Amino acid sequence: MVGLVGRLWNLQYKSIVKEASGKTLAVAKFFCVLHVTNTYLCTFALAYGPSMVPTFNLTGDMYLAERLSIKFGKVGPGDVVLLRSPESPRKVMVKRLLGLESHSITYVVDPMKSDRCDTIVVPKGHVWVEGDNIYNSRDSRQFGPVPYGLLEGKVFCKVTTFLSLAHLMLNFDAVNCTSSLSQPKNKRRV
Amino acid sequence: MVGLIGRLWNLQYKSIVKEASGKTLAVTKFFCVLHVTNTYLCTFALAYGPSMIPTFNLTGDMFLAERLSIKFGKVSPGDIVLLRSPESPRKVMVKRLLGLESHSVTYVVDPMNSDRCDTIVVPKGHVWVEGDNIYNSRDSRQFGPVPYSLIEGKVFCKIWPPKEFGSLMKSGMKDPDL
Repeated sequence: MVGLVGRLWNLQYKSIVKEASGKTLAVAKFFCVLHVTNTYLCTFALAYGPSMVPTFNLTGDMYLAERLSIKFGKVGPGDVVLLRSPESPRKVMVKRLLGLESHSITYVVDPMKSDRCDTIVVPKGHVWVEGDNIYNSRDSRQFGPVPYGLLEGKVFCKVTTFLSLAHLMLNFDAVNCTSSLSQPKNKRRV
Repeated sequence: MVGLIGRLWNLQYKSIVKEASGKTLAVTKFFCVLHVTNTYLCTFALAYGPSMIPTFNLTGDMFLAERLSIKFGKVSPGDIVLLRSPESPRKVMVKRLLGLESHSVTYVVDPMNSDRCDTIVVPKGHVWVEGDNIYNSRDSRQFGPVPYSLIEGKVFCKIWPPKEFGSLMKSGMKDPDL
């Protein structure tokens, strides 16, 4: 009698465990696919801070960044890129790429204080990045050219501002991908 | 008659396709697991070149490098690390870590030509790497401190050649007080 009850309980237990592990495996496989897509194809992220005004807002913009261009070396000056900060390895920042290796960059050293410009040739294997808002941006003007290996993605599409994302989800509208990531016209000066 | 043959052929075709796709899926899943292990846990690599003699041979040594220490920041001076070259983004090199951020590193600038030493404080977020064979190594003495994010793994075990199998000690570390 006890043996029979024991066997019945084992049977139930086994089927529950089998079903649970089956479902866990399915969820794990889904997350693996998501993760591989995130790492090798396309990721979305939230950027906040003043350094890329007017391209990205102070309070936060969500955007899509793709990773294939970086791996194949198809980035050029003018692209908005995701890169790991050379000063804080856990931080990822968004800046505009202004020069590849062996390019000659002229930049305003400290626009708040003076109009002094400086020219630098970007060394081999490095890139020069600057924020669009040069008055409040910590970029290559402070920490120098960054090694190309720190680049993580190229931003190609801005999802409309974070606050209206909820509105978007409620209405199931298509995302509004703006292609207005080109350089602001009044940025470069002599 | 023709319809029957057609249906038989379809049936065979379907089962072949199903079996092929099933096997392909299994192989793909295996490679996915291998890849995730390679990227997040442990990888093995081949190092060749003169810059890490005597720790690694000129002709090539295979070793295991783990990636968890890097993610948790548990590297320290004396460790051998895998890092992406700041000069050639497609190249990965093996060097010994000699200083973390805000460490003061004294190094011989050009041992082939003179004994002149120089001291530098490693800036925030950077590390200083040097090869064990300072006479023939392109490292931080030439390209400066390297951002921490370029480090890709920490070498903990040499697996080829078999007679040199074993974990790597810090004994190869040169005297920092030159």
